[in-house]
Amino acid sequence: MIVLFRVPPLSGISALFSTGFGGYQQFAETMVISTPLLIMAVGLSIPFSAKFWNIGGQGQYILGSIVSTWIGLQIVGTLPPFLVILVALLVAFLAGAVWAIPPTLMKLYLGTSEIITTLMMNFLAVFLLNFLVLGPLEGPGARAFHVPSSAPIPQADMLPGILPGTGVTLGFVLALLIAGLLFVVLNRTRFGYEIRLIGQSPDAARYAGVSINRSIMVSMAASGGLAGVAGMVQVFGSTGVLLPQVFSDITTSFGYVGIPVALIASLNPAAITLSSLFFGGILNGAYGMELLYGIPVDVVISVYGLIMLFSLLGLSIDLGKVMNRLRRVR
Amino acid sequence: MGFDVGSVISAVLAGMVPRAMPALLAATGENVDEIGGILNLGVEGIMLMGCITAFLVDYATGSILLGFVAAGGVGMLFSFFHGVASITLRADQVVSGTAIWFIGWGLSGVLYVAAFGFSASPVKINTLASVSIPYLSGLPIVGQLIFGESPVFYLALVLIGGIQYFLYHTKPGLNLRTVGEDPRVAEMMGVNPIRYRYGALLFGGLLAGIGGAYITLVIVGSFDYDMTAGIGFVAVALVLFGKWRPWRVFIGALVFGGIYVLYLTLETALPSLPYQFLEMWPYLATLGFIVVVGKRANPPAALAKPYDRGE
Repeated sequence: MIVLFRVPPLSGISALFSTGFGGYQQFAETMVISTPLLIMAVGLSIPFSAKFWNIGGQGQYILGSIVSTWIGLQIVGTLPPFLVILVALLVAFLAGAVWAIPPTLMKLYLGTSEIITTLMMNFLAVFLLNFLVLGPLEGPGARAFHVPSSAPIPQADMLPGILPGTGVTLGFVLALLIAGLLFVVLNRTRFGYEIRLIGQSPDAARYAGVSINRSIMVSMAASGGLAGVAGMVQVFGSTGVLLPQVFSDITTSFGYVGIPVALIASLNPAAITLSSLFFGGILNGAYGMELLYGIPVDVVISVYGLIMLFSLLGLSIDLGKVMNRLRRVR
Repeated sequence: MGFDVGSVISAVLAGMVPRAMPALLAATGENVDEIGGILNLGVEGIMLMGCITAFLVDYATGSILLGFVAAGGVGMLFSFFHGVASITLRADQVVSGTAIWFIGWGLSGVLYVAAFGFSASPVKINTLASVSIPYLSGLPIVGQLIFGESPVFYLALVLIGGIQYFLYHTKPGLNLRTVGEDPRVAEMMGVNPIRYRYGALLFGGLLAGIGGAYITLVIVGSFDYDMTAGIGFVAVALVLFGKWRPWRVFIGALVFGGIYVLYLTLETALPSLPYQFLEMWPYLATLGFIVVVGKRANPPAALAKPYDRGE
């Protein structure tokens, strides 16, 4: 794909890696991009473990960002900053969870494919967001800068930075904590075992006395909630304002990008930490490639797709062989 | 509010068929895939590849027919990738379909920029003119609706009839349905499920590619990044709505086209309404559709289940 632009492939790729991972500043920027991605992907891994395909992360993310910005702007100045952030986190979680519930109910009680319903909810969320940002939530004077947006969250109420001279905030620590928590929940608790059982064999889960409906509801609420938190972290940690979205603009599509991030890591939260840094780095690097060589940043979504496809091919071929060899060795 | 209900209705009737066509073609293809037991979520990406392929080929050669042919070919190629992953290697079809979607999503935009750069003004191409059947198209309302369409519509009518006949009145059609219900039984009948699934998938890819081409070659005449805006997924939803019956999918697609035109018409008729709420309409309607029929849907039993021949 790089060749299409008559750019020597090696220099294109080196631009990608040097912008994505090449130094303190560059890696810090990658961490900033990876923060919402990590929270999103870890959230998605919960229903994915039950083979319940939440493709609606983007919509839940948008709802989280809308509600946290809206409530946040209402209470800034009346509450101390850490409380503002706490409240924003909480309402973002609730908003994302609420947006995830209708498709879940439709699947459980009507049998409608969750893939389609969660995806349609994404479109509804985009329109809702654009309506609000260009209407009731539009900040005064925002249009003077040509980009309509909400009023800004005051600097004091943003997530505090943790690495001097960079944009990395406490959000990254929060993301790591969430990943750690879910590692424990998915691997060491009864709930985690139950949803993986549902994913492997719903019948076996039913015989084992697992309440499938309840487990799916909980996993979707948690997943939607975390997607909402990702939206809040993006506003309070990075953009500072609520921005309108174009359909599936890759640079704002954490809900879609989170899907390969979670899948590549075999839905393991510890591995997702690495894969989100990797995918975030590619995205960050793609900005560099666009600046240097005019290769559109959208190229990364194809790259993500190719990585997914090759990992599928690789997993089914290589893992099989490796397992056989291991068995022989034993 | 001064708008003429009659003119809205006739605008909807006149515009619904062209707007329905991309979703109709893709949904018909997806229907055949799913009858054979393969869920192809890559339609959205395949349609986008169809859009850009048809656009580039038409731009380079000036031939609309070549544009359709090339788009169909690229559609088959992409669905073949899905087949390798999901049929031969028995990978999860949701994951593989999503991968195809992403590849088409990014690659279509990248190809456009590679060909034309980041130009602010969209490049236009010639579009297919509609064929008016003499005399009959002059009939009020029905005339424009039925007899004033692009040739692709008439082909699609034949196609749907043909698929309906193939699936329910021929031996290979029965075989394909058996493969989708229980590949093991099909194997016992002496049918090769793998071959049937590949066949169905390639056919579905062909139609999805042509459906994408229809957007650029007939409706829009230019390419826009991510221009399908979810129509590929609407197509998957239409298959659910149609309960895997081609003629029901056809009706669903027409209703969807009508709703789409209704929003375009109301957008100009009612400028006071925030346009975002009108834009929501097609998606909200799609949700509504599948909720209404969802309870009684009865998918092919082996849908999205990989088949292991036990070799």
